[in-house]
Amino acid sequence: MPAGHVDALIVGSGATGSLIAARLAEKGKTVAILEAGPERTAGDLVSSTLWARRLKWSGARVIETGSRPVGHGFNAGFGTGGSATHHYAVWPRLHPDDFRMHSRFGRGLDWPISYDELRPYYDKVQLEAGISGDAKQESWRPPGAPYPMGPVPVFGQGKVIARGFEKLGKKTAPLPLAVTSAPYNGRAACIWDGWCDAGCPIGALANPLTIHLPKATAAGATIHHATRVTRILTSEDGARIIGVEYVQGPKDTRGGLEADLVILAAFAVENPRLLLASANAKHPHGLGNANDVLGRYIMSHSAGLVYGFFEERTEPYMGAFGGQLVNQDSYPKETHAKRGAFGSYQWMIAQAVKPNDLLGISTTRPDLYGDAVAPFMKRAVQHFAGMTAVCEDLPVADNRVTLASERDAQGEPIASVAHDAAPESTSLWEASLAEGKEVFAAAGAQEIWSGSRGAMHIMGGTIMGRDPGTSVADSYGRVHGVRNLYVAGPGLFPTSGGVNPTFTALALAQRAAEKM
Amino acid sequence: MEFFSRREFVCRGAGAALLLPFIVGGCEKRMTPAEAAKGDVPLRTLTISEEAALRLLGDLLVPGSSEAGLVHYIDHQLSVPAGENMLMIRYLGVPPPFVDFYRSGLKALNAAARQRHGTDFGVLTEEQSKALVADFAASKIADWQGPPLPLFYFVVRSDAIDVTYGTAHGFASLGVPYMPHIVPPSNWGA
Repeated sequence: MPAGHVDALIVGSGATGSLIAARLAEKGKTVAILEAGPERTAGDLVSSTLWARRLKWSGARVIETGSRPVGHGFNAGFGTGGSATHHYAVWPRLHPDDFRMHSRFGRGLDWPISYDELRPYYDKVQLEAGISGDAKQESWRPPGAPYPMGPVPVFGQGKVIARGFEKLGKKTAPLPLAVTSAPYNGRAACIWDGWCDAGCPIGALANPLTIHLPKATAAGATIHHATRVTRILTSEDGARIIGVEYVQGPKDTRGGLEADLVILAAFAVENPRLLLASANAKHPHGLGNANDVLGRYIMSHSAGLVYGFFEERTEPYMGAFGGQLVNQDSYPKETHAKRGAFGSYQWMIAQAVKPNDLLGISTTRPDLYGDAVAPFMKRAVQHFAGMTAVCEDLPVADNRVTLASERDAQGEPIASVAHDAAPESTSLWEASLAEGKEVFAAAGAQEIWSGSRGAMHIMGGTIMGRDPGTSVADSYGRVHGVRNLYVAGPGLFPTSGGVNPTFTALALAQRAAEKM
Repeated sequence: MEFFSRREFVCRGAGAALLLPFIVGGCEKRMTPAEAAKGDVPLRTLTISEEAALRLLGDLLVPGSSEAGLVHYIDHQLSVPAGENMLMIRYLGVPPPFVDFYRSGLKALNAAARQRHGTDFGVLTEEQSKALVADFAASKIADWQGPPLPLFYFVVRSDAIDVTYGTAHGFASLGVPYMPHIVPPSNWGA
């Protein structure tokens, strides 16, 4: 641990924390990253669905309530790289209407910035991390620089599903993936073996271990594992941060570190938990919580899961975990208004699947047991195909992170996350299943079924906005009322859109880092 | 960061591949869970009654899971720190230690068997156990006193799938190429 003081202290080594660490260290700042979880290197990324579970959350308990739990245990990571170490690198952009949803439709919230303001940062991150895709084929894509690598390959699974979209007069395009379809900046090309969820040890997938942590440490940043920040300390007048307290190592050794700048990049649940737990006399309800907005508007995409069997061999184990193709015909917010739905969704088509695990083949039919299992599995590994709709979750104020009365082993209050879905979001998910089944029928599927409503990604909780009365941070993530405290990550999103959040979180982090 | 080559099959501790430590005769011996099951290696956590119930339940949910080492897999995983745990349950919002979840579920299953047939689940006849598992899978067991029945079914079924189809051996049994970058040093932790 650095002695006493650093220029910038970053809580969490995930996607955004690593990017900001790299940028600030490159500016010559002294930077320390405090990571609550263990150290992980490429050699720890074992190719196994079972071993992959060790990459997921194993910190303090998070209580989940409400009818639609956010799935923190699956969606959050723990250790070097955070959740981005096991993320699937599906990197589409939000659309302009996602940033002005309240203004345009009277629903949800507005962002304090527009797509046009964020666009150059999308382009910068894209160039640095590398995205494979075909911008011209993505007719829905907002303006932006073309992808630096060509599209990912399409295997049998993608081909049969694309046939269904085509028969219905709909389009597909290569899925934009931050995975190397060709050698890129010294990184090897992917070999499409579908182990993304277990972490990518060959550097093909743009996770923090591959992209930003090496740059950060090369520029002098230090990373300290098994070091959990327990409290953010302010000056006596409450106007600025002076440092943090932490517990470290197996014996929970307590310590403190002063910093000129503190950036919380510990994901959408831990960030507000820490801000709430840091309440003091000047901030009696938590830092950035003068108006009871902190912790609110937690969102999680609903997964619309559609599966089928096809006569052809589909090689469902080949490709990337995120998929091969994309369709965003249902991105306009009112596409499914007749069904009572509001919001956007995209299809991630033909994701590589393994026989087991939460997203594996066997779990698509959890009702099968006994003698029905083996025939299903043997057929599925040859003829299965699937796709997933990323369904927008409208921001609801009562969906929130609060402090529970229960304390963890270190005596800290644990987080409780309440989440229910707005009726329009539920209708949107139902609409996705109806469309997906229609596509599979058009594609000639022999059997079609759908999955239960999964929770993908976690956003909100520390939303950004122009008005300090209705948001936690400004467009750079700077927390209202405390001049040197920032939040980074998808927790800043005021709306979820219908696409995967990592790319947008990184673009916001790049923009913030340039400002810091 | 040092990366592995595109297809560098790294087998850390090659001699220990597919092995994990079991205590036999007071000494640590490394073997696969399937070998441990075959050799009747003493369990760390589960009782004899729990073992019998889990073994039978696993085989009725996913045939072959008992031979693949389901009981020793779960028993081993229940004894490791939460961060090293590989059970599906860690995704599902159940706080560790997970032994309470399994123990209360198996206790409820035994109670249901006793209520119907006057004996523990693990010693039911084939006909009796199949009928009870049919109701178990359909969440139709009256007065169930364990964890939520659909969740317990899902968890045990997932564990049984994991040991039967989730390893390199399981992939091979389905004709699926495993294609690892880094070969697991053991099936499920050590």
